[in-house]
Amino acid sequence: MKLFNYLLKIDRRIIYIVVGLLVMFPLVKPLGLGVTSGPRARTLFEAIDAVPAGKTILISVDFDPSSMPELYPMLTAVMRHAFAKNLKVLLCGLWVTGAGLADKAATEIPPEYGKKYGEDVVFLGWKAGVDAVILGMGENIKNVYPVDYYGKPLDSLPMMNTVKQLRDIPIVFAISAGTPGYQDWLLYAQSRYGMRVGAGVTAVSAADAYPYLQSGQMTGLLAGMKGGAEYEVLVQKAGYSKAYMPAVAAMDSQSLAHVVILLLVIVGNVAYFATRKRGA
Amino acid sequence: MKRSIPLAICLIMGIAMMIQFFVPHPASVAFYDLTTKWVRIVAAFALVLGTGSLVMYHVDKLQRRRRGWYYSIVTLTAAAATSVIGLGWGVRPGSPLQDIIFSNLLVPLNSSMFAILAFYMASAAYRAFRARTKEAALLLVAAFVVMLGMVPIGANVPFFWFLVVMAGALIVAGLVTRSKALFIGTGALVVGLLVWLAFSGFKVPRLMLPDTAEWVLSVPNMAAKRAILFGIALGGIATSLKVILGIERGWLGGGKQ
Amino acid sequence: MISLLILLLAGQAALLDTGAAPLAPPAPPVAVRAFDTPNDAGKSITLSWNAGEGPAHEAWIIERTAAGIEPEVIATNKPGETGYLDEGVKDRVGYTYRIAAVAGIDTVWSQPSAPVTCAPQLFNADRLNILIAMVIFFALIIYYIETAKKGKNLFVRRIAGLDAVEEAVGRATEMGRPIIYVPGLGGVSDIATIASLNILGEVAKKVAQYDSALLVPNRDPIVYTVAREMVRESYTKAGRPDAFKQDSVFFITSEQFAYAAAVDGLMAREKPATNFFLGMFWAESLILAETGAQTGAIQIAGTDSVFQLPFFITACDYTLIGEELYAASAYLSREPLLLGSLKGQDYGKIIILAIVAVGSALLLLSGIPALSILARIADFFSVR
Repeated sequence: MKLFNYLLKIDRRIIYIVVGLLVMFPLVKPLGLGVTSGPRARTLFEAIDAVPAGKTILISVDFDPSSMPELYPMLTAVMRHAFAKNLKVLLCGLWVTGAGLADKAATEIPPEYGKKYGEDVVFLGWKAGVDAVILGMGENIKNVYPVDYYGKPLDSLPMMNTVKQLRDIPIVFAISAGTPGYQDWLLYAQSRYGMRVGAGVTAVSAADAYPYLQSGQMTGLLAGMKGGAEYEVLVQKAGYSKAYMPAVAAMDSQSLAHVVILLLVIVGNVAYFATRKRGA
Repeated sequence: MKRSIPLAICLIMGIAMMIQFFVPHPASVAFYDLTTKWVRIVAAFALVLGTGSLVMYHVDKLQRRRRGWYYSIVTLTAAAATSVIGLGWGVRPGSPLQDIIFSNLLVPLNSSMFAILAFYMASAAYRAFRARTKEAALLLVAAFVVMLGMVPIGANVPFFWFLVVMAGALIVAGLVTRSKALFIGTGALVVGLLVWLAFSGFKVPRLMLPDTAEWVLSVPNMAAKRAILFGIALGGIATSLKVILGIERGWLGGGKQ
Repeated sequence: MISLLILLLAGQAALLDTGAAPLAPPAPPVAVRAFDTPNDAGKSITLSWNAGEGPAHEAWIIERTAAGIEPEVIATNKPGETGYLDEGVKDRVGYTYRIAAVAGIDTVWSQPSAPVTCAPQLFNADRLNILIAMVIFFALIIYYIETAKKGKNLFVRRIAGLDAVEEAVGRATEMGRPIIYVPGLGGVSDIATIASLNILGEVAKKVAQYDSALLVPNRDPIVYTVAREMVRESYTKAGRPDAFKQDSVFFITSEQFAYAAAVDGLMAREKPATNFFLGMFWAESLILAETGAQTGAIQIAGTDSVFQLPFFITACDYTLIGEELYAASAYLSREPLLLGSLKGQDYGKIIILAIVAVGSALLLLSGIPALSILARIADFFSVR
């Protein structure tokens, strides 16, 4: 009885320590639980895989550092996939706080595949005005972005000679932590210019994206860190990358965290029913 | 006058923007672009206002040595340092603002705060997820299904076995606590499982936990969300109308006349 | 254009190499229609045509002619695409179009379309359904406001979170601890923030009456100035203008998690008896609510963000869900005008429910071939 009463009022710090240890443990010693890719991640993977070599894909980086653990692995996985297939990558963003993260990816990933900035990857940067930006890019990218994020005129970048407007880009992958995000790309780019739109979202807002998948407006969805892990696994299984997979590594931690929360809930309920029954 | 002019502006602009929504003429589109530019300019003024307010508040706290005045030194120093670095060395990639302040300070600090959520979710779930009522019990089961179904550990688990394990746990809990509610719930669950097994030809049904989790998220969860969104949308329209007509005047700052 | 010609010549050359028979010329396109794109800002003409009966084609070519201008090819379409939106035109200039079917080296042109001019429209007919809905909804609200003005008593159901406000303020007074009111992280143009500021006025009045302490940390500078004036006015209305402390309402920062950290620190130091979290919230909602729960405060939350509601429901004692937050000003003040608008809103919801039910039934029945026209009726409710 004392035990149940203690469990009902357990110090939060004990819960934090338990969660902390169980989240850290797999990062030091991976459990190897494995990640199987679902149909939504596979749809996006196949769509990008089918893009002919030499074409450009657009990635919209619409998240900030707080969502980085969930969404940044998706960005790197898709970029690695694109470079392995000899696709060019055009980066832009609807969030000003995402610019630093896109810059990081544009700097770190291309050298792994011997790709050069300006020829194989360009980062346009951030511009204010969501619909004006997307609609403007639909007509002429250079009108919206006369220079790239680093101040270089777009005319001086060889890659931009073949990419003038959104119709030259077969697919856009919008990684969004909120609004503006993939919904704006669906609203303007997909409906108006016929672009295929894939999305990467945080786990909490994944359910909102399902109707677009079901209606066929969206081509594939990566939901949360699990979605990122699924894509990393697909890229590695296809032999496109041997790089460290941060989302896959973190999935062990997420699994354990979920299990420990469930166990805590069970313990709490057992203690609750025990003390309630005995009139405590 | 202090109230009449803002109310009049609100009324005129509110009606104008409503009309603009229905008029596709270029003049209407130009008007919309102009107003969005105005909004951005006014928002920029707010930055000046905010900075001034921040400085005044902390300087006052320092001068009066109120409780926690030393935190104000940190705040003012950080604000000053960021402004000087940004104004002096620029904000482009490669500048100290980007490399030091953004990448090495802001990004880790933001990520740390966001990471606190994991611990808080555990403690909040432990404290609040108690099956006090039938609805709470249903919430609990849905939480179990979704939490296990969304991680690799539950990827290859058939939903049937999940329910069997749950029934087993409930039986043990019932025996330990001798709770009538638990016995009844467990009995209903066991009967349901046996019926399902019978319908599937006494083979384990192929419905997997992740599929069930997805169904929970995309059907009942989505239905509830949409219902709430209907209410929010209508409430938003009604509140906007009240603001435009001057019935709701809280935004003027100072209650109603 | 040149690349297309090269492609066609290469195709023909390949055929000659293999000794295969040359392709038969395709049938010319028929029913070429060019019309001013409806419901737009002008400078746009929509084209549509059908493939003619006969041998298949490999591409369409679209040619535009205007008075005094040489005909020019403006686009090429893939075989299945029998429509085109020409946005390179000027208003009030006459244009004619021809479409050509291309197969191999054969290009077969259609008859020219009737001359067409484009102009901007003054009303977007696609949004007629929204206009009708808006008029009905506004009429309902205004009707019930007028009804309320006449003194009719309007029933509003109990909202537990709002009933608890008085108790929460009283608790803080008894314990001698402050009340923290977080008006959300949105701007003053957000409806939830406006609703929250209205509640702040009522809460501040009660705080002034009970002689308690109130702290209002703000994320937005404009919300901060509005909140400060709101609280000052409430203290004046309660007859306690001298009790208002200028620095009880303050601006912290615009950065989301920095704001959350600052409010957490405030809660840890001040140990408030009551916390109000009312307005727009994002990911920081649980960070605020759980820290508040740790200090033992009674917590009343309300937001219109469906993503954050579960966190508040878990960590707070009372939660106002969605439009309950908007109804708060009417509920707390019991002002007839506000109650009337609440009633109108509720009847609007009943109409929406009826439309959802009727629309779903129409769509279900439209699956029967004889009743396929019902889909058109259901289509009226879609938003473009």
